[in-house]
Amino acid sequence: MAAAQQLDQARPRARPQTERRMKRRELWLALAFIVPGIALAVLFKLVPLIRGFHLSLLETQGFEEPSFAGLENYRTMLDDPVFIGSFRNAAVAFATLPIWVLLPLVLAVLIFQRSPGWKFFRATFFLPYMIAPIVVGIMFRQILAPDGPLNALLRAIGLAPLAIAWLNGPNSALLSLTAVALWSFFGLGVLTYLSGLATISEDIIEAARLDGAGFWSLLLRIVMPLLKPVIGYWTVLCTSGILIWMFPLIYALTKGGPGNATTLPEYLVFTTTFQFMNRGLGAAIGMALFVFVAIVSAFVVRRMYAEGKAS
Amino acid sequence: MSQSQTLRRAGKRTGSAAAPGSRGIVRLVVTAALAMIAVVALYPLLFTILNSFKTRTGFAKNPLGLTSELTFDNYIETFNRMAVPRLFLNSVIATAGGLVLSTFAALLLAYAVTKLRFPGSNLVFLFIIAMLVIPSQVIIYPLYETILDLGFGSTYQGLILAYAAFGLPISTYLLAAYFRAIPDQLIEAARLDGAGEMRILFSIMLPIATPAIAALSILNFVWMWNDLLLPLVIMGGSDKKTLMVGVALLSGQYDVSIPLVSAGLVVALLPVMIVYLLFQRQILSGAVAGAVR
Amino acid sequence: MNSSSSRKGGIGRHLAATAFSFLGAAALVAPLAPAAHAADVTTIKVLNWEPGGAEYWKQLVAAFEKANPDIKVELETVPFDRYPEVQGPYIATKSGPDVMENNAGLELYDRRSAYAELPADVLEAGKELITYSGGCLNFDTSKSCYGLPFGYQGNVMYYNKKVLAEAGLDPANPPKTWDEMDAACAKIKSVGKTCLALGLSGIFPAYWDFPEVARNYLTEDDMRAMLTGDMPWTDPKMVNILKGLASITQKGWANASAPSITMLPDGADLFQSGNAAFAGTIISDAVNWAAFDKALGAENVGAMRWPTLVADAPLAGSFSGIESSVFGVSSWSDKKDAAFRFVKFMAGPENAELLTKVAGGISLYKNVDPSALPNSPALSQILEIIKKPTLHAGVILSGQEADALARGWQEVTLGQLSIEDWTARMQKALEQSPSKRKK
Repeated sequence: MAAAQQLDQARPRARPQTERRMKRRELWLALAFIVPGIALAVLFKLVPLIRGFHLSLLETQGFEEPSFAGLENYRTMLDDPVFIGSFRNAAVAFATLPIWVLLPLVLAVLIFQRSPGWKFFRATFFLPYMIAPIVVGIMFRQILAPDGPLNALLRAIGLAPLAIAWLNGPNSALLSLTAVALWSFFGLGVLTYLSGLATISEDIIEAARLDGAGFWSLLLRIVMPLLKPVIGYWTVLCTSGILIWMFPLIYALTKGGPGNATTLPEYLVFTTTFQFMNRGLGAAIGMALFVFVAIVSAFVVRRMYAEGKAS
Repeated sequence: MSQSQTLRRAGKRTGSAAAPGSRGIVRLVVTAALAMIAVVALYPLLFTILNSFKTRTGFAKNPLGLTSELTFDNYIETFNRMAVPRLFLNSVIATAGGLVLSTFAALLLAYAVTKLRFPGSNLVFLFIIAMLVIPSQVIIYPLYETILDLGFGSTYQGLILAYAAFGLPISTYLLAAYFRAIPDQLIEAARLDGAGEMRILFSIMLPIATPAIAALSILNFVWMWNDLLLPLVIMGGSDKKTLMVGVALLSGQYDVSIPLVSAGLVVALLPVMIVYLLFQRQILSGAVAGAVR
Repeated sequence: MNSSSSRKGGIGRHLAATAFSFLGAAALVAPLAPAAHAADVTTIKVLNWEPGGAEYWKQLVAAFEKANPDIKVELETVPFDRYPEVQGPYIATKSGPDVMENNAGLELYDRRSAYAELPADVLEAGKELITYSGGCLNFDTSKSCYGLPFGYQGNVMYYNKKVLAEAGLDPANPPKTWDEMDAACAKIKSVGKTCLALGLSGIFPAYWDFPEVARNYLTEDDMRAMLTGDMPWTDPKMVNILKGLASITQKGWANASAPSITMLPDGADLFQSGNAAFAGTIISDAVNWAAFDKALGAENVGAMRWPTLVADAPLAGSFSGIESSVFGVSSWSDKKDAAFRFVKFMAGPENAELLTKVAGGISLYKNVDPSALPNSPALSQILEIIKKPTLHAGVILSGQEADALARGWQEVTLGQLSIEDWTARMQKALEQSPSKRKK
């Protein structure tokens, strides 16, 4: 601390020339520091994105040499009901986002208040997140089977009408898929919120307590506003989770079916590119997904930026 | 942790503010609800483990409950079909490499954009976190083409670099947020004492940021270890494929039964479970907790 | 102050070098790895999905390397259903394996630019096989050939004699027509079992079910027209095939989970567990007589032709046979000689014996010793069935068509799609198929 004060006094006295030299050195240093990260981002994200855009303008006939096709792939894409449907499906999955955000929050507050067995619950809730999505998907294929354990349970507790073929119905399949994804991710949310809760200031809580706040009003009026940054961060992860991490689950659980009921855009990119070998069209769908992802998460990135940039 | 005691007390007092008898009921309902969710979280795992010990006919006769004829054969068959030790080693190399490289690059980046003054530092930060909006599915094909062009197809390097690039935005964001909170005076003082930037970064910033690094390491470890698409596409079916690709291969094989696939799944998730058991305290308390603010 | 600043600069330069070397070092290491082999041994990389199982491939490679000491085989094994996503980029970037595997028929034709034409001396090996036309353009051995097959593959329907007896049916006389099948299914369902184990997800409906209904309505010429894109799905024959497929699920023969499961492993498991009377699968590679004999006991397993819809149709009594898969040499390989030797070995007598003995497969080699074949009632029935082969209508579907067929069937089963709309989707898929559409 003493050194810092010394610096504050020393600063104004430094000669302009030295100052300039220092700035140049700092510039070179910064450049050296940012190069590895920038190189990674450019080589393995930006360049592929640009190549993807270029590819989307090409006509790719199976494995023949590609030729320039302008916007033809985009036209084909927009005419395709499967493409439109995949975005409708994504919208449905996004509609469940409040559950993704709120369920872990409620659980975190309950654990935080040292409900009996909180240590066990904390450890248990995080367990699913550790399991690979492809493993989760294969596991749940059995759990959700018409005669699987879920339906056996429903029948046993007298809810036989609810024991449906979960992956057969178009809506139930999409919701099952989303629910399995939630199963896989909610524990991370609980842990994230718990870490945020640990930083809430005493005075604010004390004041709320004096006002006689109950659990829900504590949650809504105190915890949620104070945890805004954490909720925002968790929303980023969920947003990308729904858009990016569903693929192995779709692959293992439904393969996009029945029909195209659980085909999300990312899965359509995959099938078009690798199964149908139409790389140009696959790239066009990829670009559409990219725009969609960008719009959805732009505000999140903006918030992260506002939070993390130099003021 | 101590300043948050009040919230806990607040929670308890909320209960006691109500009628004396209802406090116990509330607690009971809360515990029951938590227990139910715990069962939901655990059951699929137990179900899979149980199935992995069943014979094919045993599973057919009783797919849900316990059967009398339990067997270890599925595990022997799993090891016969997958080169488990090699796959495990491959996963360790790829995950560790990706983890170290992305953390290293993120450390340098975060330090540069938060503690070094240069024009466009905000732009660099924005550029890196904006990469978050490019999902791997969107670019998987051109990404693989790029990796092949660099001569990294079917190599550890290819996968490690891809992992590092995809782990970078969140790592940089978390570290930058952490570094921002460290007062500039601390660094200026170190500079006055004659410390170079590398020393400042690695002997002053790094220890302070340990919780953040632990947190992003956990985040990155879990997804890198568990990822399927990148290793599948980059490693193909080569002998450098990861454990997850191996499992996908097992379940994609022609002659598999559900008990055999279950055994493969257990083998695949065992390393992660062991890590979880060993580092449970760190994972659940300090690590992620310190990072997010 | 000055001195400390200059030190900072030094570290900065050092760091920049470190940063670049991070990406550079990796590039240097990469080419070093394969250089380890002895100079006089050629290593060829074989991309495959391990048809016949791991043990068979281990022995196959050992036998080949023993016969060709100057060649080492490196296997790159990818599961069947993930194969295209690995092979696709290799082909597009013209890099990777020296030998590749593909299904005979359209899958191979679509990729023919990636294969080197087989030279005459390699083709000689093909002449010892029952057929090798699936590796040649338009199933015509007088045209260019790109790969050689080794095993015989095709569809039959397996039945569980125990379940048939339990339902009061005669295990020696399984149903021969669609109507008999319907009656049998009613009885089987009344004893609480599934009649036909079916999974409609993935490629399986196209490969395992479609050809068996198609044989009732198409001639071989019709199938060749399909291959070249000259048979529209709106043709009444094609619509009849879709109607036939739809009737399987609409009549309630299949398990309720059919629309959302794959035939492997779930559908086959249903049959192997003894809970289903029938399953339409294949003769080689897997979920075949050998696997079912092992799971259910050889005495309980029977194999038959699928029941007929049109008993007097020209191909109704035929077997949809196809080369199981073909191996060819990639056009970019710089080890073509060694690679061709491997392809030739695959089609040869030594591999034929291994396939029969180790994998329980059915070899295409003409002179397999019958005593090498295991004793299985189902296998005996299969060996009778395959004597009257015809073209396999499944392998002439494009990827787009196969996908639309499966998804459409799922929705028709669930009552969400009419046959007309399914037909329209199939036609659209045809028009989007790279090698079939008319520009």
